[in-house]
Amino acid sequence: MVESKHWSSRLFVVCNYLLMTFLSLSCLIPLIHILAISLSDSAAATGGLVILWPVNFTLESYAYVARRAAFWHSMLVSVFRVLVGVGLNMVFCVVCAYPLSKDKDQFHMRTFYAWYFFLTMLVSGGLIPLYMVIRQTGLMGTFWALVIPGAVPVYNIILLLNFFRQTPRELEEAAIIDGASQWRIMWQIYVPTSTAALATVALLSTVYHWNEWFNGILYMKTPDQYPLQSYLRTIVIDMKLTNMGANDWQALALVSDKTVKCAQIFLASLPILATYPFLQRYFVKGMVLGSVKG
Amino acid sequence: MREQPIRQQPKKSIRKVFIKELPFHLMLLPAVILVFIYMYVPLGGLIIAFQKFIPAKGLFGDQKWIGLDNFIYLYHLPGAISALRNTIIIAFYKIILHLIIPITVSILLSEVKSAPFRRTAQTLIYLPHFLSWIIMGGILIDILSPADGIVNRFLGLFGVSPIFFLGSNDYFRFTIIFTDVWKEFGFNTIVYLAAITNIDPNQYEAATIDGANRFQRMIYVTLPNMRMIIILMMVLSLGNVLNAGFDQVFNLYSKQVYETGDILDTFIYRIGLIDAQFGVATAMGMFKSVVSTLFISISYFCAYRFADYRIF
Amino acid sequence: MKKITVILALALALSIFAAIAFAESKPDPFGKYDEPVTVHFVRSTDDTLDANFFSQHPDKTMTDNLWCDLYRDRLNVIVDYDWIVKGGDEYDQKLNIALGVGDIPEFVNVDTLQLKQLAEAGLIMPLEEIYADYASDFTKEIMLETGTSPFDAATIDGHLYGLPNVDSTLMIADLLWIRTDWLEKLGLPIPTTMDEVIATAEAFAKADFDGNGVDDTIGIAIAKDLWGQLFSLRGFFNGFDSYPGIWVEDENGNLVYGSTLPGTKDALKTLHEMYEKGLIDPEFGVKDGGKVAEATTAGKCGMFYGAQWNSIYPLQSCVNLDKNAQWRAVSIVSATDKPLKAQTDVGTLHWTVVRKDVEHPEAVVKMFNVFIDKNWGPENENGIYYAPLDSESIWKLSPVVPTNPNKNNDAFMVLEQYRKDGDESKVTGEAYSILQKLKAFESGSEDGFALWGWERIYGADGAYGVLIDYQNKGMLQDNMFVGAPTETMTSRMSTLEDLQDEVFTKIILGESDIDAFDKFVNDFNALGGKEITEEVNEWYASVK
Repeated sequence: MVESKHWSSRLFVVCNYLLMTFLSLSCLIPLIHILAISLSDSAAATGGLVILWPVNFTLESYAYVARRAAFWHSMLVSVFRVLVGVGLNMVFCVVCAYPLSKDKDQFHMRTFYAWYFFLTMLVSGGLIPLYMVIRQTGLMGTFWALVIPGAVPVYNIILLLNFFRQTPRELEEAAIIDGASQWRIMWQIYVPTSTAALATVALLSTVYHWNEWFNGILYMKTPDQYPLQSYLRTIVIDMKLTNMGANDWQALALVSDKTVKCAQIFLASLPILATYPFLQRYFVKGMVLGSVKG
Repeated sequence: MREQPIRQQPKKSIRKVFIKELPFHLMLLPAVILVFIYMYVPLGGLIIAFQKFIPAKGLFGDQKWIGLDNFIYLYHLPGAISALRNTIIIAFYKIILHLIIPITVSILLSEVKSAPFRRTAQTLIYLPHFLSWIIMGGILIDILSPADGIVNRFLGLFGVSPIFFLGSNDYFRFTIIFTDVWKEFGFNTIVYLAAITNIDPNQYEAATIDGANRFQRMIYVTLPNMRMIIILMMVLSLGNVLNAGFDQVFNLYSKQVYETGDILDTFIYRIGLIDAQFGVATAMGMFKSVVSTLFISISYFCAYRFADYRIF
Repeated sequence: MKKITVILALALALSIFAAIAFAESKPDPFGKYDEPVTVHFVRSTDDTLDANFFSQHPDKTMTDNLWCDLYRDRLNVIVDYDWIVKGGDEYDQKLNIALGVGDIPEFVNVDTLQLKQLAEAGLIMPLEEIYADYASDFTKEIMLETGTSPFDAATIDGHLYGLPNVDSTLMIADLLWIRTDWLEKLGLPIPTTMDEVIATAEAFAKADFDGNGVDDTIGIAIAKDLWGQLFSLRGFFNGFDSYPGIWVEDENGNLVYGSTLPGTKDALKTLHEMYEKGLIDPEFGVKDGGKVAEATTAGKCGMFYGAQWNSIYPLQSCVNLDKNAQWRAVSIVSATDKPLKAQTDVGTLHWTVVRKDVEHPEAVVKMFNVFIDKNWGPENENGIYYAPLDSESIWKLSPVVPTNPNKNNDAFMVLEQYRKDGDESKVTGEAYSILQKLKAFESGSEDGFALWGWERIYGADGAYGVLIDYQNKGMLQDNMFVGAPTETMTSRMSTLEDLQDEVFTKIILGESDIDAFDKFVNDFNALGGKEITEEVNEWYASVK
């Protein structure tokens, strides 16, 4: 660049780097805080002495978590949930986004369908009726209660349909002349050219399924079936001191170990943190949302 | 997006159209059924809003019909109106800042020449997004503490006296808005960054030849090219006008800041799940749905009318 | 005095009559069914069971363990669960929703509000006759240890709708926990008046015990849920003749809500003054018990109000960190010249109710019999079924858990006697396992030090001594309203309690001035408190 040697431009570059470094570091703090506590001595952690560096380094909390079957079991449930849940989400996402990405002249009822799906983002009947429907459809107490009711991801469908719209109509018209069915056009033209967008919605729905906890607690029959975040929820929740039975302190004393909590939180965050950098490549492209073409 | 093509359609019989478009209907059918069962059927439960609902009697039990009493009760309940006010204020600032900050950061980040640095920064700013508010809440109470939190220690270096971010009604909303923007800006930054990387480099070169400096290029080349994505993100976010962020507020608020921090969702939660007054909670939820729908419809219409943009 | 007693006596008389008339069909409290009877419950679970039992017995489950075996072998009753949820709040939430869709379990533990709603909807059955017929004499004795109030709360229109899982009322009374090593360092006595408590708090707050040169010590620790069993304010308010959250008699013999008493205003004013002086953590409003515990652990606080078990959690971690630290529970103190009373409440949190169409409702009464008999009755296998040394919470495996409310007092009294005469042969059951813990602590071993908290409760100057003192000196203020929740209570009380906590917190922090209290009293009455008070007094008149 021509003017990059100018002092004001240099100042800008320096400030810019500094600002970006500061922002990035500020986003790292929470993770480091959790990691530092999990690696500290329990008494020091409970005493609030640990901030960003372990005090009296020890791996005791990790050793304890390693022995906790419930933690690993719920981790497995979560992994399974992500695989099945995201799989379902992706299928529904594609088969819905494709027809909805058509213009009105190609698919006359698209607007009706689009609003049909979109409205569900805005209104909901509340917990009780949903609970009832889940019970009546036989999902209550089963793993499927976690993945079926939310199988149609409306927000993701909107993202993907915008991406699909970018695919040149000529490609499709050519395929129609060759006698390809709509199903084939979808799978052989649209899906392969949208890997970036698909990776994006896959990540979004992975994050959702990994972090969702309430349904786990509400719909499962026993705590053995809890996914990881529901399990975590039962250990990191706000400590309620009122309305306790005379013997509830035993539970209190047990779950209060901060280092163990943090070790579990950290381990629970790892899988998704590890996945993200690999998907990021696609992600940046996938978020284009069909908007750049103007 | 695409212009609505104005083509002369040959007259077709409805049947022919239907057969031609049948694959589309079939593709949508399973999703339509699922959504109907799990989203639309439960809407029937909204009748609870007009009942003095007693859980033990059940959904189909002999509940007492009380007309609009639940709504009237809400209107008179002191906390309800302030919850509505807080929700709108917090959501408003969040919507604005979730646009401005990520756009700014994405432009600045795109100015960074070193690719490894850019990629690292991009990855790091997205990290907090993965941590749930349950986890984040505990951490924030620590680092925002006026006594020994690192934020106040840092501010102390500049002679700022300790600020009680989470406990003072003067600062609570600000804290909620700021921490939410901090947690989520990475996500939107990536969206905008994607748009920027797709801008034709020739446009920049042309601008440079015309004598535009760095800032002028940002204003006259980068921003106009981001117009569409900005509109899309804005319209999508307007549906959130009554979503001030349940998980966040729930994990950060306390009784002393109900006045400025209690939002509709936390209010509904307390009335519904804790007090088991499902009728009142449903009434509140219904009110929220109606207002949200109104807002999103208006914004959808505006985007279509003025920017000629269809979101879906 | 109580109509329930009349009903029970009547039922008893009826059953005796019936027994005479049909000697053949006399109900047997421990009778074994010929055919297996499956009972379906729902329940909550917590980490203690995971950590203390299931981790050591991985082959056991909620429906396959020694308690289920016992019920099967003794009664031919098979225990099953429709669902199990982890956490107390989660249990309440899920149960409310489940009831909302008409999903009512056969046998279920509910609170008074749910009980009232279920009873009024006609979905659960009256149990007074079944109870009179099938409860063993010992069960009846234990269940009345805390008076008839657990039964009154479940009695609607003269019918008993739930069996109380009785629990201690005494244990709810607040104590003042204080760091005695700090007192010694400063040469201060144990405070016996409110002025002394405040002076001690000030001395603690000013002193720099950790020598870090920073003024970071607070006087009295409080957590955001003001009325918990740890870092509570109840004991403090009691010192001002104020009884927040419970109903007490005024000078005319009418019941009034304890939070609206004039003493409350004085207590709030004093707390605000203490806040101004830096004796209270200005952040208490955002800190839950776990966060406040960090302050006591780190040696930043030397005084707070709470329950007898506080030495085990959180104080044990304080002494683990600083071996020189020492805490002791002492009596709460008074700020007035009125007699000092510590408030209690109905300790029973859950009642077992039975769905209307259940074929063998009496099965649950029999389970109560077996549970109580096994743990505190003649069989006395407490050391196996209740709290064996190696798995502390094993009793929770039973779906019904009526506690002998006085078990801890009894254990303490046995230990006191032992300390006097040294006769170990009389120390049995629960007292025996506690004695082992005390001995382990006194041995001075490292493992033994982990039992410091137990010594602070049951040792010679232990917390239980103070509670028993309260009892002997008549220093307890019971909740005078123990009936089922009234009509307006069911819909308004929790909102009012929320309002109360918000106002009180703000007054203490100076966000509102003290006149906000008067406004609160007005608001309380305007938003349903007046109706509630009338209903409560109506109830009171009916039982007097």
